[in-house]
Amino acid sequence: MKKPRLLPDGIVIPSSTDYLGDVDQFLEAQLSSAGVDRSVMTDLAISVSELVNNAIIHGNGFDNSKEVDVRFEVTGAEIRIVVCDQGSGFHLEEVDNPIEDRNLLREVGRGIFIVRNFVDEVKVSVSPSGGTCVEIVKKR
Amino acid sequence: MKLNHREENGVMIVEPKGKIMGGPESTALHDLLHDLIDQGKKNVVIDLGKVDWMNSTGLGLLISGLTTLRKSGGELKLANVTDKIQSLLTITKLVTIFKSYDSVDEAVTSF
Repeated sequence: MKKPRLLPDGIVIPSSTDYLGDVDQFLEAQLSSAGVDRSVMTDLAISVSELVNNAIIHGNGFDNSKEVDVRFEVTGAEIRIVVCDQGSGFHLEEVDNPIEDRNLLREVGRGIFIVRNFVDEVKVSVSPSGGTCVEIVKKR
Repeated sequence: MKLNHREENGVMIVEPKGKIMGGPESTALHDLLHDLIDQGKKNVVIDLGKVDWMNSTGLGLLISGLTTLRKSGGELKLANVTDKIQSLLTITKLVTIFKSYDSVDEAVTSF
């Protein structure tokens, strides 16, 4: 079975939620060493956990032969993070609104909604060769 | 995440500690809540004071526990909700669904 791979600017994990902690530890170490504010770090940690969960569950369908690629870029003004899977993608406008009364007691379906509330930009791109990337940007 | 639980005046108090992000720790919390329900423990307080943060998976677990308990005539209440989790409950409007208290004692005596 594949294992997480650390890269200079990110981490690549197999499609298992067992590795969510590895991504979180890597993110916290990177942002902490860059002096990012604790509250911003938590917003990003929550957002990245949502995106990685989505990539594992909905993108790669828990297929352990597929991977989730997470890359970080920290500048003086913002933090940019890209999470890519090897799935067929989705459109932001197709995601159901979780704060409508009929959806409030649903156990799932809040991930992207939370991400959009916690970061400044969210972009989804689908590669012609397969795979979906979600890029988030948060100002420092 | 670490997970403890205890009973006080007939109310089960569940004390997760750490981060609830959707990995094995979430399965442990789900299993504990449903074990308590299977044992007939209908009134539960989740003490969130030592939870660093949670994501939508954590919220889903709370909703699952709440709806299952309510179906069996019980209730799930929250105590010591941290600012970040309060923010999550507010933006998702779940603040209208969950009853939350400033302390475990207040939550326990509210049953």
